[in-house]
Amino acid sequence: MQIVDKIKSSDKSQRKVRRKFEDARGLSITSLLDELTIILVFLVKNISTEAVKISAEPDLTYPTTMTNDKLLEKAGTTPIKIFPDRVLVGTEALQYGSPADLVTDPKKREALFTYLKMEADDIVTHQKAETCLLVQADYSIPCNYITEIVRAATAAGYSYVYFATLQDNDWLKKYNVSSTH
Amino acid sequence: MGQYRPSAMRQQKSQTVPQEPNLVPIMNLFLTIIPMLLMMVAISQIALLALNFSQGDSGISSGQGGGGGKGGPATEKVEVHIFGVEYAQKNNTSLGMEIREPGEKPKNIPAINEYYDYVSLDTSLKEIRNRRGTLSDITVLAYPDVLYGDLMKTIDICKNNGFTQVHYTAPKVQYY
Repeated sequence: MQIVDKIKSSDKSQRKVRRKFEDARGLSITSLLDELTIILVFLVKNISTEAVKISAEPDLTYPTTMTNDKLLEKAGTTPIKIFPDRVLVGTEALQYGSPADLVTDPKKREALFTYLKMEADDIVTHQKAETCLLVQADYSIPCNYITEIVRAATAAGYSYVYFATLQDNDWLKKYNVSSTH
Repeated sequence: MGQYRPSAMRQQKSQTVPQEPNLVPIMNLFLTIIPMLLMMVAISQIALLALNFSQGDSGISSGQGGGGGKGGPATEKVEVHIFGVEYAQKNNTSLGMEIREPGEKPKNIPAINEYYDYVSLDTSLKEIRNRRGTLSDITVLAYPDVLYGDLMKTIDICKNNGFTQVHYTAPKVQYY
């Protein structure tokens, strides 16, 4: 009988096993989630489709200006980006060619006019808004390219032409003719 | 003998630690959306310079000293000519700018170290503004090889001095 008791007491199922370590608690990410929610709301509030259209291009060197005209509230905007080596037209950033094509290739000029006319008609017909062309050009672009684009835009029916710059209220005070721009 | 229903307390399951909701899928969603929105947000504030072409007499035109009028009463306009290197070499003049004011002698603003003298331009426009308080029209004529940045700075100074109606004019050129 004693032996039986001893066997029972040594049964594995009744043996108590003590763990060496406590169970690790899961990482609490609730506070992180709260922060991310705040950031998300902030970003969603600050981002609009218009801001996307006129976002700064990293490859462009914008001229600086003191004045800043507000973009019309009810405006249909067509952006045109003139890099030193290429021109991108429209919100889809269609490849146009090189800036030199604007003055050397009459077919390309005609194509630009046709595209701008189509866009202007679309803005007037469907969006029922003012037609605006937004020129984002590099500082070093010669004016004759800008002139050709503005000429094509006005002929296509654009009422407003906006030039994108970087605002610096003190550029004239800082301007020193003996140094570089 | 009455029947007693079992105690409610006894029927309850054993109390367990409340389970935290699984936040991992939400975290994944956030980690996708936030970088995308950060990429879309405009970091640097872009300013805009506007030219209005809707009024008929403002905007671009071609021809030497061209302005804009469309048959209406002629408005007095001050003209700022920006000469490029090519023009200066062809006409044996210095690089720079020239202000043409009705009834006044043209005022030449030569470039210094091949850079346009915007400080002098600003001073001259301020003088004109003092003489002609109500004048709002000004024409900027830029030669083809003048840089876009120089054109913008000139228009900027004009607007900053109260010339709200800026006309952009180009001299007549033939490319081919």
